[in-house]
Amino acid sequence: MSYFIDLVIVGLSIGMIYGLVAIGISLIYSGLDVVHFAHGEIYMLGAFIGLWVFNTFKLPFPLVLLSSMIITGLIGVVIERVFYRPILKSGGGYTVAGMAMVICGFGMAFVLQNIAFLIWGPRSLPFPVTFGMPIEIGNLTLPSSYVWIVAAALVLMTSLHLFLKKTRLGLAVRAVAGNKEIAYLMGINVPLTISVTFGVACALGAAAGVLVGPINYVHVLMGLGILVKAFAAAVIGGFGSLPGAVLGGLLVGVVESLGAGYLSGNYKDIYAFILLIIVLMVRPAGFFGVLAKTKA
Amino acid sequence: MANHMLTTTDVVGGYGSVQILNGVSLSVERGKIVALLGGNGTGKSTMLKALSGLIKPWSGEIHFDGERINGMRPDLIVRRGLVQVTQGKEAYPGMTVEENLLLGAHTRPERAARARGLERSYTYFPILKERRKQLTGTLSGGQLQMLCVARGLMSEPKMMLLDEPSAALAPQVVLDIFRAVARICRDGMTLLLVEQNVRMALLLADYGYVIKDGVIHIEGPAESLINDDAVRLSYLGGTVADRDQKLSM
Repeated sequence: MSYFIDLVIVGLSIGMIYGLVAIGISLIYSGLDVVHFAHGEIYMLGAFIGLWVFNTFKLPFPLVLLSSMIITGLIGVVIERVFYRPILKSGGGYTVAGMAMVICGFGMAFVLQNIAFLIWGPRSLPFPVTFGMPIEIGNLTLPSSYVWIVAAALVLMTSLHLFLKKTRLGLAVRAVAGNKEIAYLMGINVPLTISVTFGVACALGAAAGVLVGPINYVHVLMGLGILVKAFAAAVIGGFGSLPGAVLGGLLVGVVESLGAGYLSGNYKDIYAFILLIIVLMVRPAGFFGVLAKTKA
Repeated sequence: MANHMLTTTDVVGGYGSVQILNGVSLSVERGKIVALLGGNGTGKSTMLKALSGLIKPWSGEIHFDGERINGMRPDLIVRRGLVQVTQGKEAYPGMTVEENLLLGAHTRPERAARARGLERSYTYFPILKERRKQLTGTLSGGQLQMLCVARGLMSEPKMMLLDEPSAALAPQVVLDIFRAVARICRDGMTLLLVEQNVRMALLLADYGYVIKDGVIHIEGPAESLINDDAVRLSYLGGTVADRDQKLSM
């Protein structure tokens, strides 16, 4: 029984990571109407930037997390402004992105991988942060890094929720996701709001990268695996829905962990997709599937 | 010209390479209600988009409150006090009534202005106060239209552009909405009413323009338009509207 609980806890914390990345993908999808295929690399970049901040400035972990989010968020804004926006515009505004954007996203993934390779090299680097003693609850021992992941992810998700629900800018982000023309008529600076959306999504991806660093190694190719998992999570939850992204992430994490624990660790990556296929057979729109125009 | 809130001269424009507006000139006096009338595909909506900045006119001039605004980004036009009230179907269905209203006050970050806007909206449309926590998707068509008018008021504009407030609504509901709009205008709002429902629009308006094939076809004071043979034949079906009876409030 305790083995089962251990697996669920590991699954939930990894699921939080998937959830954070999936939220970013969903935010970009609803805000810009494009699927961002370079989001795994944003996560990788976030992890490396976090590691760099950690090694250079010896800051405490929460500050490392925060600074990586800010730096990566700003990099994301630059990427969107310089590379994605001209393509989106040439497609007739932000709603018709088409194939060019998909290819540009993949291209951006390779470019970012290679930039990271040039800077940090091909080796897996450890993220030598120490979280202190494992936490004991009853006869259960939780490695504190997992507790950290879950706590930090929950704080971030709650902040995002409050931002979208309670602030003027958050409301604008939702309006732009719903309908850009009407958002314009409300006096919202739509191009700026799109940048904010993209920056926030990238910051959340970076947070996931920094959080996963201490339990995994940081590696140039770490973005590949996460992208497909986060996609599975986003689709399971219902593409474009933020609560769906979180739920999907947690489901993928737990199923993967249980599968690896009870069946075989060699096929760890398959379980997420078996889950995806089953969910799509039963509920093709995902759990929180939203009609295209009632999002926001 | 000092008394003119909005003036357009020979506005030409369209989508892609399709020219819709073939030189539209109209003007709206401060504090007046002007109707822009026309059927489907006459250029009404395109003109509205040119005024609110959603499309850039190819040539011609648009002046608002002493400033040239053609080609300006839509959010900057809203900041200058010219707001387009969308049709009811264009409220955000996934947001609550109050969130929709606050969205209208996006250009007003100050807490006091937002509270004042909500207060004002609820005075004109008390039903919205009852429904303020409900999702907009649950409102009726008339309530949605009221919400959109109220949302337009939230930025405390100098002038509003009303996009077919009567579209797809029952006559009684339209009358309710027009009454509220008349009250808003009596309280000092300038209005350009874009309508297909010519009779209703002329009951409310001081002056009217009839647009056809992208140019102003007929214009004149509302009383004379309502009796104008050409307007009557093309839009009113040959009957004379009883002006005093309909809008007595």
